[in-house]
Amino acid sequence: MNLDLLAKAKSLGFSDRQIAHLTGQTEDAVRAERKAVGIIPSYRLVDTCAAEFEAYTPYYYSTYDRGDDEVRASDTRKVMILGGGPNRIGQGIEFDYCCVHAAFALKEDGFETLMVNSNPETVSTDYDTSDKLFFEPLTLEDVLHIYEREKCWGAIAQFGGQTPLNLALGLQRNGVNIIGTSPQSIEVAEDRKLFAAMLRKLDIPQPPNGLATNEIEALAAARQLGYPVLVRPSFVLGGRAMQIVYSDAELTHYMRFAVEASPERPVLVDKFLEDATEVDVDCIADVGQFADPQGGTSVIGGILEHIEYAGVHSGDAAMVLPPHTLSQSVIETIRTYTHAMARELKVIGLMNVQYAVKGDTVYVLEVNPRASRTVPFVSKAIGVPLAKLAAKVMAGKTLVELGFTAEVWPKYWAVKESVFPFNRFHGQDILLSPEMRSTGEVMGLDADLGIAYAKSQMAANAPLPLSGRIFISVSDAHKGEVAEVARAFADLGFELISTSGTAAVLEKAGLKVRRILKLTEGRPNALDLLKNREIQLVINTPAGQTPRTDEVRIRTTAVYTGTPIMTTLSGARAAALGIAALKKSGYGVRTVQEFH
Amino acid sequence: MPKRTDIHSVLIIGAGPIIIGQACEFDYSGTQACKALREEGYRVVLVNSNPATIMTDPEFADRTYIEPITPECVEKIIVRELAELQRLGATGKLVLLPTLGGQTALNTAMSLHRSGVLEKHGVEMIGANARAIERGEDRQIFKDLMIEIGLDVPISGTAHNLAEARQVAEQIGRLPLIIRPAYTLGGTGGGIAYNREEFEEIAKRGIELSPVSEILVEESLLGWKEYEMEVMRDRADNCVIICSIENFDPMGVHTGDSITVAPIQTLTDKEYQIMRDASFAVIREIGVETGGSNIQFGVNPDNGRMVIIEMNPRVSRSSALASKATGFPIAKIAAKLAVGYLLDEIRNDITRETPASFEPTIDYVVTKIPRFAFEKFPQADPTLNTQMKSVGEAMAIGRTFKESLQKCLRSLEIGRSGLGGDGKPWRIGNEVYGDRDILPRDVITRKLSIPNAERIFFIRHALRAGFSLEEIFQLTKIDRWFLTQLKEIVDFEEELAASVK
Repeated sequence: MNLDLLAKAKSLGFSDRQIAHLTGQTEDAVRAERKAVGIIPSYRLVDTCAAEFEAYTPYYYSTYDRGDDEVRASDTRKVMILGGGPNRIGQGIEFDYCCVHAAFALKEDGFETLMVNSNPETVSTDYDTSDKLFFEPLTLEDVLHIYEREKCWGAIAQFGGQTPLNLALGLQRNGVNIIGTSPQSIEVAEDRKLFAAMLRKLDIPQPPNGLATNEIEALAAARQLGYPVLVRPSFVLGGRAMQIVYSDAELTHYMRFAVEASPERPVLVDKFLEDATEVDVDCIADVGQFADPQGGTSVIGGILEHIEYAGVHSGDAAMVLPPHTLSQSVIETIRTYTHAMARELKVIGLMNVQYAVKGDTVYVLEVNPRASRTVPFVSKAIGVPLAKLAAKVMAGKTLVELGFTAEVWPKYWAVKESVFPFNRFHGQDILLSPEMRSTGEVMGLDADLGIAYAKSQMAANAPLPLSGRIFISVSDAHKGEVAEVARAFADLGFELISTSGTAAVLEKAGLKVRRILKLTEGRPNALDLLKNREIQLVINTPAGQTPRTDEVRIRTTAVYTGTPIMTTLSGARAAALGIAALKKSGYGVRTVQEFH
Repeated sequence: MPKRTDIHSVLIIGAGPIIIGQACEFDYSGTQACKALREEGYRVVLVNSNPATIMTDPEFADRTYIEPITPECVEKIIVRELAELQRLGATGKLVLLPTLGGQTALNTAMSLHRSGVLEKHGVEMIGANARAIERGEDRQIFKDLMIEIGLDVPISGTAHNLAEARQVAEQIGRLPLIIRPAYTLGGTGGGIAYNREEFEEIAKRGIELSPVSEILVEESLLGWKEYEMEVMRDRADNCVIICSIENFDPMGVHTGDSITVAPIQTLTDKEYQIMRDASFAVIREIGVETGGSNIQFGVNPDNGRMVIIEMNPRVSRSSALASKATGFPIAKIAAKLAVGYLLDEIRNDITRETPASFEPTIDYVVTKIPRFAFEKFPQADPTLNTQMKSVGEAMAIGRTFKESLQKCLRSLEIGRSGLGGDGKPWRIGNEVYGDRDILPRDVITRKLSIPNAERIFFIRHALRAGFSLEEIFQLTKIDRWFLTQLKEIVDFEEELAASVK
C-alpha cells in the first residue's frame, strides 16, 4: 500500500487492525509490510522535564512521531510481564497484585523485568515496581513491538487475568516464549471437549453438560440434562452473561438476547447442582518442568468454602478459609483431584479449581491454570506469597528449591466478603447470581469464626446489628429451614417481623412473630419500616427466577437505607454466628505479622 | 527544614475495599507512602481491610492490620500501638497520616478527631490538619472562603432538609440544579435535577446519604468546560503545579466518568496562568500545609467566566493519574512533606538532579478514558451524570492528542481498535449496523445530546453522517478544538478507505 498513507495512519494512532479493515488486508499483512519498510514505533521517556535533564527511571511510551529512540540497551535476561489493563468487574486489583509480585520475584532472581500495562490506577505502573515500565495498550500489535524491540527471553501471561491470556496464543504464534504452564494446557482447561476427556481419564466427575451453538441445540441440551441448567458463553471472566435457567422460555430468551453464540464461540450448558456447596482451591505446581510428570511438586495454597450455596459467582460469594463445614473425606477427595489435575495439565505456576460438593460427591466445575482472583486473599491468609513463588517457578526454580512443599492449614479463620456498587445503580436488583457484580473485597481475620465473619461485614460497611428487629421473608423452597435460622436470632434477643406466609411457618415452630402487611396488602409495610430505620437486618431469599416486584423493592430499599441484608439462608446463619460471638466477647485487633 | 525527629511511628489508614470512586489508585498511593516513610526510618503501622492490595503485604509495613476501617476499630489499633511503643521504650510519638487512603481514611480520621479520640490519646494528624480538611470538605465553608479571597464560585446554598432545599432553589431561581451531598464519595447520592419533581427526589436522597445530612444546591454549569489542577505545598509555603488536566466532556459528567487529557489543551497561556495563581490561592487559604490537593475549575465557553468547583485536600484519584502522566510520584512526595521535608529538599528520582520543587514539564499528550460495566446492571440508567459510574480506566500517551486518544481507545478492551474503521459492528437496541454504515440522524442526535459511555464513537458517526462541527458542538458542548481533532481522524479514515478503491 501507499507508504506515506501508512506512515500517516500510524502517526494518527491508527492500529494495524483498523488499517487492515479499511484497506481490505489482514492485520498480519499490515504488520509485515510496516516492518519490511521500517515503520515501527520509537520509545520515549516519561521524565518530568521534557528531556531537559537526563532521566534515570525507565518509564516509556511508544510513538510514531519518528525520532530518537530513548530505550537503553542491556544484556540481562529479560522477562515481560503482561498486566491486566483497565479494571472492570471480574478483573481488578487482584491481578495487579499478582503482576507486581511477579516483577519483585524475578528482579530478586536476577532477571530484568518489563511491565506492560495501560491502567494508571495500579502499583504495577509505578516506575519503581519493574526495571522497565511500558505504558502501552495490551494488544498483540503493541506488545509484540516491545517484545521484539527489547529481545525478551520470555513473557508471563498468566498473572494479568483474561486480558493477557487472550493474547497468549497469538503472541506464541509470533515467536513469543510464553513461560509457565503452556498455552496448550490452558486450552485443555478452557475447551469443553478436551477438558471433559481429561476428567474422564482421571475419573473425576463433573456436572452433566452439553454445548450449543444455537437456540435449537441449547434447548435440546437442556431437555436432556433436565432443568435447572447453568448457561454461559465460553472464554469469559467474571461470569459475563452467566445465568441459571429453569425453563424453555427462559432459555430461549437467553439465547436470543443475552449471548451471541456461534460455532467458534459456543454456549456451555451445565446441569445446575441446587443447594451444593462451592469450593475454590488455589494450587501451585512445578510439574511441567519435569519430563516425568510424577517428578514435580504440587502444593495446595488454600481451600476456600463458599458461604452462599452454588449459583453465586465465586467473585461475589463470601468464603471461609479453611473450610468450616466440609468433612475430612471430602477435603481429601478435593486434594486428590487437585493434585491429579495439576499433574495432568503439567502446571508450572498457579492453578485455580472450582468444585461443587453435594453430599459426598465432589464435582469439578472449572479449572483455570493461572493466577486467580483469590490468590492475594489466600496468600495473606496462609502467610505465603503464592504469586511470588509462582513467578519464580515459571522462570525455572522448583518448589523444593523454594522451600514450599507442604500445605499450610491456618489455626485461625479468614473470611472474604464482597462489596457491591448497588448504591450507584438505583433500581437494579441486588440478588447474587452467577454473573459477577462486585467491585471489591475485604477480609476478616480472627481465631473465632463468628468474629471473623462479623469483622468482614464491618469492613464491607454493613456491620451486623447486635439488637433490634429482623424482617424475614423467604421463598417456599426455603420455608423448611427458615425456622431454625429465625430461632437463632430470637434466642439472641431479636424481634422477628414477617408477612403472612413466612410468619405462619415461624409461628408453627413456636416462635413469636410480629406480622406486617405485604406491599400489595397496604401500609405500613416493610418499606415503611425500612425507611423509618425500624428494621436492623433483612433476610430475604428469592422466590425463583423471575423475582416478584415487591421483593425487588424490599431489597433495593434495604440497600438504599443502608440496612444489612442477607439473600441466602447460609448467609443469615453466618450472621447469627457472628452476632452471637460479638455479643459474647466483643472483638480485638491483631497484626498480620502476629498471625503468621 | 530536616525531617521530624519527634515521630517514632506513623499510622497510615488505607482505603478499604475497591468501590466505584475509590479504586486501586489508593493502593498505589499507600504503597508509595509506606516505602517512603520506612526509607526515612519511621516505623509504619497500617490498617486496611482489603487483602488484594500490595500495601497489606507483610513486608510493606512494620505492623499490618487487616481489620475493618471504622473509627472504633482504628481506636483499638491506636490503643494497642501506644502500648506497643511503651513496651519498645520508644521516645517518639505515634502520628496519623489520613490523606493517602481516599475519602474513607479522611472520614475515619475526622470522626476520630470530632469524637476527641485523637486528643485523648495524644495522636497528631500529619499531612493535613483537621481545620484544613473541614475547610476543604465542607462545601459552604469552602465557598465562603473562596469568595473572601476574591474567587468566583457557582451560586449555591446548603440545606439540611427539604424545606431548606426548596428555599435555596427559589433563590437560584432556575433549573436545572446540581445537588451535591457533603462528605460522600464520587458524588454518591448527588445528581442533576431538570424539574421540580426530580429536584425533590434527589435532594431527599442526598440528605439521607450524606453522613452529616447536608447537601449543596448549586446553579447548573452544564456545558461549561471543566479543568483540574494537581497542586502541592510544603510548610515553607512553596507551591507547585504537578499537572493540569482538561475534561473532554463538559460539566455535568463526573470527572471520574469523563475522558480527560493532560496537559490542558484549549486554554491560552494567560488563562492557564490565572488558573495556576488561583490554585495556589486556594491551597493557601484552605490551609493544606503539606501535601497534595486537587482543585476543580469550570469555565464558561461563551464569556470565559472561571469558577472554583471543589477541592480535595488529599491525594485523590486524579493524583494517581497525574503521577502516571508526568512521572512525578505525588504520594511519595506527599508522605515526605508530611514528616517535615520541604519540596526543594527532596530529590526527583527521575532526573536525580532536579528537586521536587521543579514543576514537571511534559512534551506529549496523555488521555484517560473511563471503563464502564453497564452490561452488568441492565436495569439501571446508563446516562452519565454527576454520580460516578465507571469501574476502571485506561490511560495512553502519544505525541499528539490524536495518537494518544486512539491508543487509549484500543487500551479499553471493549472490542474497539481505535475510533473507527475496525470492522466491529454496532448494536443499538435491537438494530445492528456495520462499522462503516451511516447511522440514522435521530439515533446519533440522541447519543450526542445525552452523555453516555459511547458518545465519543457517535461523534465519529455524526461526522460521517454529515453533521457539521457546529451542530455537534451544540449537541455536546465538547470544545470545538477536540471536535476538530476527531474530524481529522475521521477524514483520514475516509482517505485510507478511498485509497484502495
